[in-house]
Amino acid sequence: MVVHQLLSAAGPVDAVTGQARAYRRAFESWGWGGSDYAALIDPRMGRQVKPLAKLDAQADDVLLLHYSAYAPRLRPLLDLPNRKLLVSHNVTPARYLWNYEPVVAVYCSVGREQLPEFARSVDVAAGVSEYNVAELTAAGARATAVVPIVFEPPPTGAAGLNGGAAVPRAPGAPTILFVGRITPHKRHDLLLRAFALYRRHRAPDARLHLVGEPLSPAYDAAVRELADELVPGAVTIEAGITREALWERYRQADAFLSMSEHEGFCIPLLEAFSFGLPVIARPVGGIPEVAGDAALMCDGDDLAVVSELLALAVSDPALRAELAHRATRRLAKYAPERALESLREAVIATSRARS
Amino acid sequence: MIEPERALERARASAEEMRASGAYADSGAYADSGDAGFRVEPTDGVTTSQLIEWALIEPDPSNLYSTRRLGAPITFVKRLMLRGLRQYLAEIVAQQTRFNIHLIAYVGQLTLRVEALERGEQPHTADPPAAPQPPRPPVDGP
Repeated sequence: MVVHQLLSAAGPVDAVTGQARAYRRAFESWGWGGSDYAALIDPRMGRQVKPLAKLDAQADDVLLLHYSAYAPRLRPLLDLPNRKLLVSHNVTPARYLWNYEPVVAVYCSVGREQLPEFARSVDVAAGVSEYNVAELTAAGARATAVVPIVFEPPPTGAAGLNGGAAVPRAPGAPTILFVGRITPHKRHDLLLRAFALYRRHRAPDARLHLVGEPLSPAYDAAVRELADELVPGAVTIEAGITREALWERYRQADAFLSMSEHEGFCIPLLEAFSFGLPVIARPVGGIPEVAGDAALMCDGDDLAVVSELLALAVSDPALRAELAHRATRRLAKYAPERALESLREAVIATSRARS
Repeated sequence: MIEPERALERARASAEEMRASGAYADSGAYADSGDAGFRVEPTDGVTTSQLIEWALIEPDPSNLYSTRRLGAPITFVKRLMLRGLRQYLAEIVAQQTRFNIHLIAYVGQLTLRVEALERGEQPHTADPPAAPQPPRPPVDGP
């Protein structure tokens, strides 16, 4: 089997590129060939990814297209005779971006309009969650599959990974964590306001760690300004940290709080589960499917309720232990070998299409 | 122990109790702690006033940087080039801004006309632009 992966853009901190690299490692372990190509390549990628112009696919090769936004350079590939598998990583709704990054909003808006053409043109359309697959089905995909994101858990042996038992809360000031790009749909503004309430009424010395790449310097500045205004000195915002540093942030945290309004999958939930952290999140997009019964869901309409949930999650050891116990089941469901098995089935189904 | 399924209910009750005792006065529905600061406002369209704001383009030089590790020298060179090309770039910005502003004005006129038509009124049509006047012949002296 030869599978070529095709991306609009490839970069070292890009989540889609990370998945493509994980897929490639799996393909190699199965003895499959092929290469990865992108229309735009960040210089830091070195030779891991080839320019799209160098694609020279044979008739039997399978083309795997990664789709996460408007992809004009991938569009001509739909006309190739090869069998094709689309993996949709979810497109952020443009409504969150018009006021902040109009160019990105245009890409997302056109990307959503273009999705049906991609979904209908491929042999198999895969989504990273049932939520994504529902979009592909609505877009007219002929055959669909769920291929969950390949979640590579922190290496065992790291402090904090204790077989699913809740990490006992260290005495002292509680630390709340959120990991995710600093973009409008993640609603850092609500998160900061909920944290400010928690700090004012429940834990005056609490701290908040935010980890994520900002959408733009201007948006990053707006979030930092709001943090300084609401809870001066209590918030740390970091970007571009190493995996080891990220694991350390999870180890230092007492709870994971997400106020995001749109998620196709949400890997940080699984990361938090790995460290036995209680998770509070809004039931949007793919979050209920990924979190199952292992997270505390709250719609976020009343931030006082979010603050009280945080207080419960931080201070009730039995609740923390029960959530950590349930989290182990979610981690088993999203174990990397199961995700890769779904991928393998989807690729094989694609290779057998039209035969 | 609180079952996870009952945690939300418990948190709601607790928030109500706290409110009754005067806490969370700063947190109404979809609330915030104070109205200050920015708030994400999802929108399905862009208002005319937002378009007007964007029409006057002012690219931020701080967005010109290198993504490479240890890329400070590259950032420096890029910004040096920006300074060197300042006159040329200013001309581009001026031309683009001129186009944007005229387009916004045109969109504004169209909006008014559509609104008038929707109200069943006869839209006011702007006078057609005056034809360019031919150059005057030189006046002969007396």
